Amino acid sequence: MVNMMSSQTLAELLWVEKYRPKTLSEMVNQEDVVKRLQQFIKERNMPHLLFAGPPGTGKTTAAHALAHDLYGPDYRMYMLELNASDERGIDVIRGKVKEFSRSKLPSNISFKIVLLDEADNMTADAQQALRRLMEMYVDVTRFILIANYPSKIIEPIQSRCAVFRFTSLKKEDIVGRLRWICSNEGVKCDEEALEVIYDISEGDMRKAINILQASASLGVVTVSNVYKVVGLAHPREVKELLQLALDGKFMEARDRLRELMITYGLSGNDIVKQIHREIFSSELKLPEALRVEIADYLGEIQFRLIEGADEEIQLGTLLAKLVVLGKAARSMKQSVK
Amino acid sequence: MIYGVNVVRKLPWIIKYRPKKVDDVVNQEEAKKTLIQWINEWLKGKPKVKAALLYGPPGCGKTSLVEAIANEYKLELIEMNASDYRRKSDLERVARVAALQRGLSSKHKVVLLDEVDGISDTADVGALETILDIIKTAINPIVMTANDPWDPKLRPLRDAVIMVEFKRLSKTDIKKVLSRICSNEGVKCDEEALDFIAERSEGDLRSAINDLEVVAEGYNEVSIGLAKNLLRPRDREYEPFEVVRRIFISKYAWQAKQAAQQTDLTPDELIQWINENLPRQVSDVEDLWRAYEALSKADVYMGRIIKTGNWDLLSYAVELMTAGVSFSIINDTKSKYRWVKYSFPQRILLMAKTRDVRQLREDLAEIVARHTHTSKSSAKSDTIPYLKVIFNHNQLMAAKIALALNLSDNMIKYLSPQNSSKIIELVNKLRSEVGQKSGKESALGRGIKVKEKKISSLNNFIKEN
Repeated sequence: MVNMMSSQTLAELLWVEKYRPKTLSEMVNQEDVVKRLQQFIKERNMPHLLFAGPPGTGKTTAAHALAHDLYGPDYRMYMLELNASDERGIDVIRGKVKEFSRSKLPSNISFKIVLLDEADNMTADAQQALRRLMEMYVDVTRFILIANYPSKIIEPIQSRCAVFRFTSLKKEDIVGRLRWICSNEGVKCDEEALEVIYDISEGDMRKAINILQASASLGVVTVSNVYKVVGLAHPREVKELLQLALDGKFMEARDRLRELMITYGLSGNDIVKQIHREIFSSELKLPEALRVEIADYLGEIQFRLIEGADEEIQLGTLLAKLVVLGKAARSMKQSVK
Repeated sequence: MIYGVNVVRKLPWIIKYRPKKVDDVVNQEEAKKTLIQWINEWLKGKPKVKAALLYGPPGCGKTSLVEAIANEYKLELIEMNASDYRRKSDLERVARVAALQRGLSSKHKVVLLDEVDGISDTADVGALETILDIIKTAINPIVMTANDPWDPKLRPLRDAVIMVEFKRLSKTDIKKVLSRICSNEGVKCDEEALDFIAERSEGDLRSAINDLEVVAEGYNEVSIGLAKNLLRPRDREYEPFEVVRRIFISKYAWQAKQAAQQTDLTPDELIQWINENLPRQVSDVEDLWRAYEALSKADVYMGRIIKTGNWDLLSYAVELMTAGVSFSIINDTKSKYRWVKYSFPQRILLMAKTRDVRQLREDLAEIVARHTHTSKSSAKSDTIPYLKVIFNHNQLMAAKIALALNLSDNMIKYLSPQNSSKIIELVNKLRSEVGQKSGKESALGRGIKVKEKKISSLNNFIKEN
């Protein structure tokens, strides 16, 4: 234990973890939520909780901080943490979660905690099974469910939970935190660069800190370094893929698609989202109406990706559509001339 | 007149010219004798063996003979083929019929289980056992067909049936039927062209009639030039190529669909073959998109089958990936008949080649996900891209992170191929320093807290600034 701890004095945690608030009092935003959670600490009791809100707004942090404040630094002994996106089937609920929930309560605490992150990705069966566990073992175990989209949590579970809504972080919250990290790390940062990071992160603290650390790895955090990092992190290939398809080069576009999916490991969803990011850019020469048409089709394909079995077939369909639209764009241009 | 003629005009030829009587079935005299003798045993009372397995190459008349016998002896034919075996309810329906006592007025029944060698060991678990049970309890004749009856999985079946061999049809047999059809249809057919079609059919009358119709339909004549142009030489070793080609050139939706059944490919393999070769075949961009829309919908059905286990949806998926694709090509229909070099699905090759690196990526995502309390997919999309930037630009920061996350050398290589050796060197250096330090620090018993104190309180920081 000591060995591992001391290794971290030389080792460098990712900044998202290093600067994650450990206690509720360290959280500087979501004041209303924090205040109500602190009330639970005082009473040493709480209902099942559902934390809802956009990514990177402090839901997971609040859950850990709450457990920390309840049980102290070794809180992990009393908490089972699962990410439902990776373990979302009914087997996990009937296995791991049930075992933990029913296990005997240590004498020094009054309940254990099960933390289910990304619970909105749980299957409907698993949610039904979970609902029964929440009733049966409520005397010894409390659940904290975390979700981006609480509407995907079945009604009976929602009604058993106290729901906490986390709101998008304000600009000053994110920029302030980034500035503080820079000062702790002794990294030089431009104010303007931090604002650019905020714009790109869309209120997502985790994303903002990741961009900050990667920018700092280039030396100083300047606007140009921030843009460089974002460009590097989102491979140009997606932009090229889009351009190839619009130019009518289907086979080349498909080769590029395979490279992105197999070599880079991007999911179909990642690719749809990254194309979406490109289509309103002024770098891309396209009639405005077609941008909207592409967006509409992207939405359709994103939907079919969830429904379908093979991502390449769905994205191949997208590429074929882009080829058609690219051709339409060229003929529109000609008729204008 | 041997072949029925007064049928609806648009009926596909292989249906229109299907034998109505036993005599219509070309050749196969041995098989006819055995089978009719066996059926007569049934009509007289209880036969010794309750099921027959007809085997022989495709298109030599197995199914046709059963249909002709049923027709001539006024038996009711209950049919089932390979795509149905996975539906337990269908098999049970057949079982009920097979065990059904014949009413006084009703007809005798024949149960035909087509293509039993198409039963898959994995997808149709229990189908063979069910068929054996059906045979045991049957009081009506059960006829099965197969191309390859010597498949080890069929052994229990072989012991329970009489085996009836069908011979491969000769070129002369096939030519005879083809020229009869030509004269019936009033289509001018070159001798040389019929030779060519008969030759390439390799004894498969069904495919020969299909080929003849494909050539005759568009041009109302069958010349050697047209035949060679429209019909690519068959290559038995590359079955999947042939299936894809047949899907494209089919004249009718059912033909395209049938092509999918005349192959060892499973539907999810077939859709890969079509996906790979569709853009090679189709030239018009709107055709390509329309065809992809059909493929996309087929894939959605496949997804629903996986998620719900509802195999009933399979036929919709197959129809869309075959006929749906083929008949989406309307702007440039000629492109369907172009000869193009097909390719094995490249993605399958790529996946095999990249298996190790993909596994590495998954392992890395798991470490990062655990460390940052996120899912693997968000680790892959939100964190790992930035780790790559850091590993490519700042070796010291990279080494410290690698140490904290306990990354393997291969993971470091994955994150930055060009810097990996230097980062690994740094990691080892840091690790040995940690070893020395931990000795001292454990004596002090302070560990990480030393470092944590250095982080100033954010609240103080805000006040100060």
